[in-house]
Amino acid sequence: MLNFNSIFVLLTSKFIHLLLNIPFSNTSQALMNLCQQNLNSKETIMHNSCQQLKKEFIKKWIHGLQICCSSNTKMNILERKKKIKLSADIALASAKNSTTSWSKAIISEAKNDEQNAILVENLSPESKFIRAHQKVSCHKRITSKKILKRSYGVYRKMKKMEPRRCGSSLASCIAKRLVKKRTRVLKRLVPGGEFMDEFSVIKEALDYILSLKVQVDVMKNLVNATTILS
Amino acid sequence: MSSRRSRQLSSGTSMRDDQIIQLVSKLQQLLPGTRIQRSNKASASKVLQETCTYVRSLHREIDDLSDRLSQLLSTIDADSPEASIIRSLIM
Repeated sequence: MLNFNSIFVLLTSKFIHLLLNIPFSNTSQALMNLCQQNLNSKETIMHNSCQQLKKEFIKKWIHGLQICCSSNTKMNILERKKKIKLSADIALASAKNSTTSWSKAIISEAKNDEQNAILVENLSPESKFIRAHQKVSCHKRITSKKILKRSYGVYRKMKKMEPRRCGSSLASCIAKRLVKKRTRVLKRLVPGGEFMDEFSVIKEALDYILSLKVQVDVMKNLVNATTILS
Repeated sequence: MSSRRSRQLSSGTSMRDDQIIQLVSKLQQLLPGTRIQRSNKASASKVLQETCTYVRSLHREIDDLSDRLSQLLSTIDADSPEASIIRSLIM
């Protein structure tokens, strides 16, 4: 079964003349069509959704790279690297089409910086509605979290007054505390995680890891293809 | 009233615990592991810790790859035909 990695390298080496003559929009279309033809028909649903995400991501990322790398040809390496990374992150988030919270968080964070405005506008046109919603819902979540903390403090005082249970639950208490500690760390790693509760953070982390894998795969292929060609 | 509230809270957390256990098992399947057999009794905190390290390593990898890509793009020889391919594709 031809996987996506081999397809990408195959395409860039075999269809060099095709890429030279065709303008950008047709190039990506030609690439996508060829990928579609070579995909195995017996793939699982997850593999299909990953391939779909990969296609969307590639389209948007190459578009983003064109926008940011063509405007200024004399960038130094650090600036270029930041732009590449930023365009990759935004492309991945917008490829998700606002279905997950972490993608919305990335896009709203990028929008807050004025320099990235052009990039975000072009890559994710549907994000216009995200910004206002995100700010309002964040504020609401923060105030409701404060209320929750206050009531939780009261609850804890009440619990302390109850007699301690037997020792078998001590281990479970420690386990729960560890889980809470780790979830707190995870909240910092997943974008937008500080505003979510434990359960949603773990759910978002599942999807985030899958998407990060896709991003790493595609970037690796592009780097390999560029190394081969240069 | 307070007993009902504490009862509600405890039943709510036990349901949430089950859901967390389900999610954690799904997470375990995603993580790259050296062991072939994943023990079902791997504690949730260990899985979460591995998740955190895995996410950090993925972030680092993306950083490295964008570094390499920017170096490659900046050192392209301007006149070669391959450079024009890359330029037409990316720039």
